[in-house]
Amino acid sequence: MNEFQEKLVHFTWPEPKKSYDVVIVGGGGHGLAAAYYLATRHGITNVAVLERNYIGGGNSGRNTTIIRANYGIPEAVRFYQHSLELYQTLEAETGRWIMHQEKGILWMAHSEIGMQQQKARAAINRAFGAKTEFLTPEEILKVCPEIDLTGGGVWPVVGGSYNTEAATARHDRVNWALAEGAMMRGVHVHQKTAVTGLLMEGNRVTGVQTDKGPISAGIVMSAVGGHVTSLAAMAGLRLPIRTHPLQAFVTNHYARTFHPIVASTNLLFYVSQTARGEMLMGAEIDPQPSYNYRSDHHFLQSCAFRATTLLPFLRDLRVLRQWTGVCDMSPDYSPIMGKTSVDGFYITTGWGTWGFKAIPASGEQMAQLIATGETPEMIAPFALSRFAEDRLMADRGSAGTH
Amino acid sequence: MRVIVDQKPIPFAPGDSLLVAMLRAGEHPTEGGCLCLGGDCPNCLATVDGISYVRTCQVAAKPGMVVERHPADGYPLLPDDSRHRAEVHAHNHHCDVVVIGQGESGRAALAEAEAAGKQAIGLDVANGQEAIGIYSGPLVVARTAAGMLHIHAAEVVVATGAAEIQPVVPGSELAGLFTSRAAEQLTAAGLDLGRVVAVGTPPAGIECELASGDLLRFEGEGGRVTAVITQSADGSENRYPCQTAVVGLGLYPRDALTRMGHQLPVRAVGDATREADLPTCPGEGIICPCSGVSVADLERIWEQGFQEMELVKRATLAGTGTCQGGVCTPYLRSFLLAKGKTLQPAFTARPVNRQLTLGEIAAGAHHHPTARTALDGEHRRLGAKMERSGGWWRPWNYGDVWAEYWAVREAVSIMDVSTLGKMIVSGPDVLELLERLYPTKVSTIKNGRSRYVLLLDERGYVFDDGMICKDSDTQYTLTFTSGGSSHAEMWVRDWAESWGLDVRILLQTQRLGAINVTGPLANELLARAGLDNPPPYLGHIEATVAGVPCRIFRLSFTGELSYELHHPVEQSVTLWRGLLELGQELGIRPHGLETLLKLRLEKGHIIVGQDTDMDSTPRRLHHEWAIKLDKEFFIGRQAVLRTNKIPLDKQLVGLEMVGQPAGYAPLEGGVIWHQGNYAGIVTSATYSPALGKTVLLGWLYLQNGELPTEVEIEGKTARRVEVPFYDKEASRARA
Repeated sequence: MNEFQEKLVHFTWPEPKKSYDVVIVGGGGHGLAAAYYLATRHGITNVAVLERNYIGGGNSGRNTTIIRANYGIPEAVRFYQHSLELYQTLEAETGRWIMHQEKGILWMAHSEIGMQQQKARAAINRAFGAKTEFLTPEEILKVCPEIDLTGGGVWPVVGGSYNTEAATARHDRVNWALAEGAMMRGVHVHQKTAVTGLLMEGNRVTGVQTDKGPISAGIVMSAVGGHVTSLAAMAGLRLPIRTHPLQAFVTNHYARTFHPIVASTNLLFYVSQTARGEMLMGAEIDPQPSYNYRSDHHFLQSCAFRATTLLPFLRDLRVLRQWTGVCDMSPDYSPIMGKTSVDGFYITTGWGTWGFKAIPASGEQMAQLIATGETPEMIAPFALSRFAEDRLMADRGSAGTH
Repeated sequence: MRVIVDQKPIPFAPGDSLLVAMLRAGEHPTEGGCLCLGGDCPNCLATVDGISYVRTCQVAAKPGMVVERHPADGYPLLPDDSRHRAEVHAHNHHCDVVVIGQGESGRAALAEAEAAGKQAIGLDVANGQEAIGIYSGPLVVARTAAGMLHIHAAEVVVATGAAEIQPVVPGSELAGLFTSRAAEQLTAAGLDLGRVVAVGTPPAGIECELASGDLLRFEGEGGRVTAVITQSADGSENRYPCQTAVVGLGLYPRDALTRMGHQLPVRAVGDATREADLPTCPGEGIICPCSGVSVADLERIWEQGFQEMELVKRATLAGTGTCQGGVCTPYLRSFLLAKGKTLQPAFTARPVNRQLTLGEIAAGAHHHPTARTALDGEHRRLGAKMERSGGWWRPWNYGDVWAEYWAVREAVSIMDVSTLGKMIVSGPDVLELLERLYPTKVSTIKNGRSRYVLLLDERGYVFDDGMICKDSDTQYTLTFTSGGSSHAEMWVRDWAESWGLDVRILLQTQRLGAINVTGPLANELLARAGLDNPPPYLGHIEATVAGVPCRIFRLSFTGELSYELHHPVEQSVTLWRGLLELGQELGIRPHGLETLLKLRLEKGHIIVGQDTDMDSTPRRLHHEWAIKLDKEFFIGRQAVLRTNKIPLDKQLVGLEMVGQPAGYAPLEGGVIWHQGNYAGIVTSATYSPALGKTVLLGWLYLQNGELPTEVEIEGKTARRVEVPFYDKEASRARA
């Protein structure tokens, strides 16, 4: 027996109806969260979530499960801190075990300029509600004694920022808790149902065409990851999104003694230990845009090399499995949420490498938008229209990908 | 010859694997479970010479090897350190065909390829050559005794054979259980298996009792099997007492590599292509020994609504342990077939197929190098603190930043600026190219003159800055920021190609060194170095300085009289040493990046990347003067015209702190407040000894349509002021 088996969540799989008030395309974390908050916060339950494969099978089930709020612009710090706080209470709210663990995330700097940037990150985080401190090398050793401060003699560690409330949660369990919470209040989730077109009347979306027939809807929300540009194109929208692969790998299981999440701002890898004891590692996005899920050797070789430079004890651990997801990268490294120029078509996308940590806040805010028709203040800066209005939410340094 | 198992030496025979040696000595590597000796199951895992999760059946015993059992009630400990471990080497091998597996079909495939005149290589697990994955290329990565092998082959043949299906019944976790092939291997190695009972297809050449009926359970005592219980067609149970139970339950192709190689030139031969035997849906027992998942767990998760193969895997964690589904996949499929009436495919095959350490997989990787200028050794000899910046190692300071500062402001100083992006563009269409690339009127730059310029992208955002220097009617020298050089080269080449212009582009960044001579005594120093007629402000000439042929550009980033000496990189050291020598009486000392950042800030000069962001329009940077919108075309013009109509939201402004003590500088990147509201970000800050106050650049948001005149930073008052802060008339640079 293992204590990590899912024992509480129960799904129900009803037959699809011909019409819903709201159709959400994409049964990943963001789509399920919007459905969950529509049902729990607004009593809106005549809702269908359509998933072309199985729920949480895309990037929601492939990410490295990090929740952090150490962003670089006020709007993002506020948003991700809110999301981090929603995560802190999600277990209590749903009654489901999402394996939420507060760990703290350390971003190491390796130069004078890098150190300055981490000090600035800590300052702007604190100014807008996120708990981030600057740590000296000595303080870093207290957080993570395994680090080789000389960086193998190549990348010495000179300081770092530490977002103390950063956490991890089991991605699948987050998806399931939200799905079940929505289902038990009447929301329909339909797996193996691919959206093949949008039903339009003039500039208004009236439903979706699926491989199992048309479904009409008052509002259609896209929570698609990966092929979001194709879906938006069906509504005549061009999205400023490029999709890049992102890879990760885990080792075998070891006794749990590695507490924090550790990342390097120059070497661009990050490491944590899962609740089950695997060491989980990832790095930057692949440079070339692609929808390909094939894993590659260069990533595994290079990421392992960089991680062992700063954490030499990793060298003797055995690799278990590597995998790939895809990231919808926006030009300014911030998400895109809200209304579009097409009536009844709402969108949450551009989740790049920062989608998992945003699931509850994105779901909550999009649900509020759908329920009230008014864009909530918290996500207003992230509207798609910002690109036409020259209002970028430039936050490149926070993505951890470049 | 002995190996050490949990501090106990045990002997082994030549040819023994660690597992066979242990079994020979009556030891079992784990609590129990059916052993396959084929590298497919997780039942012989142990820590070998400090590395956990090693399949002892796949490791040849060597004298002194140290084996430690994994803890029975938990996972192995993380190692403290692995720095003592020798570096693993990686070798590349290029060939026509690689055959993975050297059983019967693998040997045949290898012979066939060689007979066809192809260069072929075979990987034999028996020789410790384990293929860990097939990647795009195709690239086959293999772990071998001699290190990592990266095989680049035109074709991959997978001849990995088939694995034996493991038993899933109550008692399948007992010791004393073997698959047929395992039993055959052990017998061949001379082990006495005692009283053997076989279930299913019996092993060859072993005296055993054949149990009839369907396998129901194993019974045992003290963790070892003592009897096999089967059920006859009439429902009655049969009991077969034994010391060893051997199962022959069918074969499952080792197809992970083939599936990994989907859409690549990969084909399978032999048993690796066989149809999978599907065991009957088990009623009871552990289907996933790695994660401890029972049939009852599957029943429960099905009832909870988890019915897709992937969801069942994720919810029970079956298939996520060391054997990556080796044991459970056949049973998961037969369970889901029985429940849902459809045969679902096995979950995605992912690398790694056979396990290896991070140290092994990392073999052959290198850090991205940080470039060094020709003067790197000089800086280090002078005791410089070196800093990575823009992809280069640069001197940050030489120990006393304020002494360096005053040398520039009051005497003379030199700085290594070899890292600057440098490019020569020539050809009949060069003026046309530059007019299109740059927002300035390039045609008004005269021969022998230079101009500061911004580079805009199509969205009208500033991504680099530098100088345009006119050499002749058909040749210009361009400079870019240190970090922007390679991007700028792509940018210029890409547009020249797109427009089909007749130009030659020559990047000079690595070929030319550059030393900036700056300070009120710069002319004096150059005169001592043999240059009596230096160029005028923003002019450039060719001349010899301290015996080194230079192109001398007069321009100023520090605010003082300055000359940039571009020269062949081979002569950088001569020039550097010559200038330091000649400047001794003038109080010369070199300055580093830290000092430069202060000097240029006093002049209000921006650093692209530090003071700019990805949305920095010329208007936001307050650099409208650098943009000639009355030009018909330049990249970004349309965007600038459009964004200029949108009300301004923020601007890069100069600020000075009010009433702060000498030496104080707020954090760069810190927050600017206005009446309790967020008002912007500090991008650069320094205390200015020359001015006796603290000066800053920062992004300031308009409040109610106006830029605030007074703001708060770190709880202190700052006032908005015009830049430059220092020498507003630029009389020093033009002196």
